[in-house]
Amino acid sequence: MRSVRRASVVTALLALFALATGPSVVAASSVTEQLISRLNRQLLYMAVPIAVLVEVILLYTVWRFHDNDEPSPTRENRQLEITWTIATALVLLFVGTASFHVLAHPMVTSTPETAHGDYQPGEAPDDAVEVQVTTEQWAYTFDYPDANVTTSEELVIPANRTVYLYVTSEDVIHSVHVPELGLKQDAFPDQYQLIRTQTTGTGEYRMYCAELCGTGHAEMLSTVRVVEQQEYEAWLEQGGSNATANGTASGDTAPSGSNSTDGTPTGDSNATNATATAEPTAGGDA
Amino acid sequence: MFETIPGIAISAAVLLLLVAFFRLRGDAPAESVSDGGYVPARAGLTTHGKPTGLTRWLTTVDHKDIGLLYILFGTGAALWGATDAMMIRTELIVPETAIWGLETYNAVFTTHGFTMLFFFVTPVFTGIANYVLPMLLGADDLAFPRVNAIAFWLLPPSLLLVRGGLITEVAGKVLAVLPVPVGALLALEPVGVGWTMYTPLSTATANQQIDVALLGLHLSGIATTMAALNFIVTIFTERADDIGWNKLDIFSWNILVMSGLVIFAFPLLGSALVLLLLDRNFGTTFFAVEGGGPILWQHLFWFFGHPEVYILVLPAFGLTSFMLPKLVGRRLFGFRFIVYSTIAIGVLSFGVWAHHMFTTGMDPRMRASFMAISLAIAIPSAIKEFNWIATMWNGRLRLTAPLLCILGIMSTFVIGGITGVFLAAVPVDFVLHDTHYVVGHFHLIVVGVIPLSMVAASYYWFPIITGRMFNRRLAKAQALLLAVGTVFTFVPLLILGYLGMPRRYGVYPAEFTTLNQAASLGAFVLALSVVLWLVNMVQSARVGPVVEDADVWNLKETGQFTREWQWFEEQLEDRQAELSRGTDGSATSD
Ligand code: HEM
Ligand SMILES: [Cu+2]
Ligand SMILES: [Cu+2]
Repeated sequence: MRSVRRASVVTALLALFALATGPSVVAASSVTEQLISRLNRQLLYMAVPIAVLVEVILLYTVWRFHDNDEPSPTRENRQLEITWTIATALVLLFVGTASFHVLAHPMVTSTPETAHGDYQPGEAPDDAVEVQVTTEQWAYTFDYPDANVTTSEELVIPANRTVYLYVTSEDVIHSVHVPELGLKQDAFPDQYQLIRTQTTGTGEYRMYCAELCGTGHAEMLSTVRVVEQQEYEAWLEQGGSNATANGTASGDTAPSGSNSTDGTPTGDSNATNATATAEPTAGGDA
Repeated sequence: MFETIPGIAISAAVLLLLVAFFRLRGDAPAESVSDGGYVPARAGLTTHGKPTGLTRWLTTVDHKDIGLLYILFGTGAALWGATDAMMIRTELIVPETAIWGLETYNAVFTTHGFTMLFFFVTPVFTGIANYVLPMLLGADDLAFPRVNAIAFWLLPPSLLLVRGGLITEVAGKVLAVLPVPVGALLALEPVGVGWTMYTPLSTATANQQIDVALLGLHLSGIATTMAALNFIVTIFTERADDIGWNKLDIFSWNILVMSGLVIFAFPLLGSALVLLLLDRNFGTTFFAVEGGGPILWQHLFWFFGHPEVYILVLPAFGLTSFMLPKLVGRRLFGFRFIVYSTIAIGVLSFGVWAHHMFTTGMDPRMRASFMAISLAIAIPSAIKEFNWIATMWNGRLRLTAPLLCILGIMSTFVIGGITGVFLAAVPVDFVLHDTHYVVGHFHLIVVGVIPLSMVAASYYWFPIITGRMFNRRLAKAQALLLAVGTVFTFVPLLILGYLGMPRRYGVYPAEFTTLNQAASLGAFVLALSVVLWLVNMVQSARVGPVVEDADVWNLKETGQFTREWQWFEEQLEDRQAELSRGTDGSATSD
């Protein structure tokens, strides 16, 4: 009987260890994700030993005192109680301060940069990429106001850049959730919320809707593609996704492409366009 | 259509069970010696001077009877909610929608949440408290026996209103064969907006059943509040002279604090529900974008919702703290600290609601302060765990079924509690919120602590209620399966959450398949354990060995033979006296 119990607890602990290694396997993809998973690891370094310790003490108590013939009456021990209260408080104080430091980081918590305390698209600094993400039942629209590009296929952003996503909804509450980039923000109708992050490497990540929004909620998926700067520009030049933006946006692309604030000469990037776009197109369709 | 069958089947089975139980209980006259020479083992059910049969159960104002009604009702609801749970886990065995469509999936987890929270947990705890609290306090009954009965009888109609969509659909389809207009019935579809009912989704969805369900929830809230008031007044005014506040037992303390939370939380839910009804039907704009805004609903809902989770769990803590010392032959270690920590939890629980809203884009300074209080509330919870371990230290642990349940509680609570700390850490919550991690975290408690404490109580007090003993070996196996099954079902969900799988998803990307299958396997272990418990309860109540000695748990040797057992002992003595009078005379002829 007891061996079954022990086996179950051991399994639980193994699972906790699996948790400890799970998230760290994913390579860092944004500053936000790095910060959060480092915090998460710190918490796990404390939590797993504490959990193991308590479970072991529990098991040891059961093993040692089962069918014990000389039980002794309970004696109050004020000191012991105060000790473990303070110890718990200290651990939680550490959790609080560590979390607070991460929370205070601008890539984790976005605060409105305007006096009126609201987020407004168009207020992103000049060197940042700005995208408006509009959610509705059950699709996303990605707007690149600087490039005058609109697409609903995928969110494409450049690597190693600061990105401002202004999130809003057309109907009910949705939530933009990109776990591998450490991003989540609920989208409310008639209101903009800000996700601020800084991408590091390139890669393709899944975007989920994380707030129940009706029948299609579980199918409200999209893709975030973080690409090299040049490829990004080429993609914008193309008018975003080949499927949606061809007709309307392509005319505007050339002039607005040069509006792009990163300062890369447009002529240069045009040269690489042909090769740069060929690849992602194939990848995007797959 | 497909989805309607299991729910209906379950409720029919439960009803049958209820009827069978009542017949069994009500019919046999109290004095007859049936059962091959045993006296009827009915110590817990005094039938003197009461109507018999169904009338008795419909008209009773006796706290023990109402307690049993509550427990039976709650168990029926639990089975119905568990059927939903099995439907969820069955759908999630494969990534695609294999069995139920997405709409049905949404409806199933919504009714699962409603049923488990409002119609399983609180009614069962109210039932247990109904049964034992007056005995522990040395009172004859609760302060307001009739209020007690009304509070109970409001629940069955509430449940039907809340879960109506399924029932009306079936009724509509059956009636459609006949030439009667059934359009109204078919218009009611099961509610699929989640138990949190976030606006604008819940205001924008046309389904009239939402209105019916809101009324049902409101009604159940009234019932819960009435029961809570009754407990508070009883604990304040009906205590025996020798029970001062310092002598009040720990279970009653927990029920007291829980009732206090109910009184502040449920009326608020009721009001919010009315506002939502007005928004849906009368064009008000309390939660509309152009009015109070969707975020207002979330604040009101969680100001109720967070205390609600402590309303659910405090009685479980109370039962654990109450039974554990008796089962290990020691006094509760740090009784005073546990009482203080219970009160502290009660107070703090009203200051943490916004930790359910960290991703709504609320003011960052608010996030930090809600994080601080959420971490603070972890301290009294941790203290309880340490106190329990200290209570066992140096004790005499007999590994009986109820003790195994409590050991299960103590080991799952460690994981369930610590995973909660991660969610309180705001940046970590950003990635874990609304993923299966959350589902895993709270189920480690709502399955690994709450039902386990009820099961422990069902074994511990089984002799008092039925006069018989349950099957101990089956009970031990069942307790182990429940504890182990919980870990196997819900720890995979923690990992799924870390990998990013959102909750409330009826379909999911293929890479999550294996972990989901592991969780579903665990759920079937849980289901098996529930069946074993049911079998043990029903069979033992019918034919289990009759209890002769009231000191079932060797409580006398450590001086913990508490009032409810003393009452039981008197009952047994009375029965003995009656029996010997019977054999002297001729009353045993039939
Ligand atoms: C038989 C064991 C149980 C299993 C296997 C189970 C399984 C699940 C699963 C998988 C979900 C997530 C559905 C989703 O997000 O897609 C869920 C949701 C939920 N469960 Fe359970 N559950 C069980 C028992 C309970 C109990 C005892 C309670 C309460 C006391 C409970 C309360 C809830 C609540 C409140 C939700 C959230 C519903 C919502 O999202 O609106 N469950 N359950
Ligand atoms: Cu959505
Ligand atoms: Cu959604």
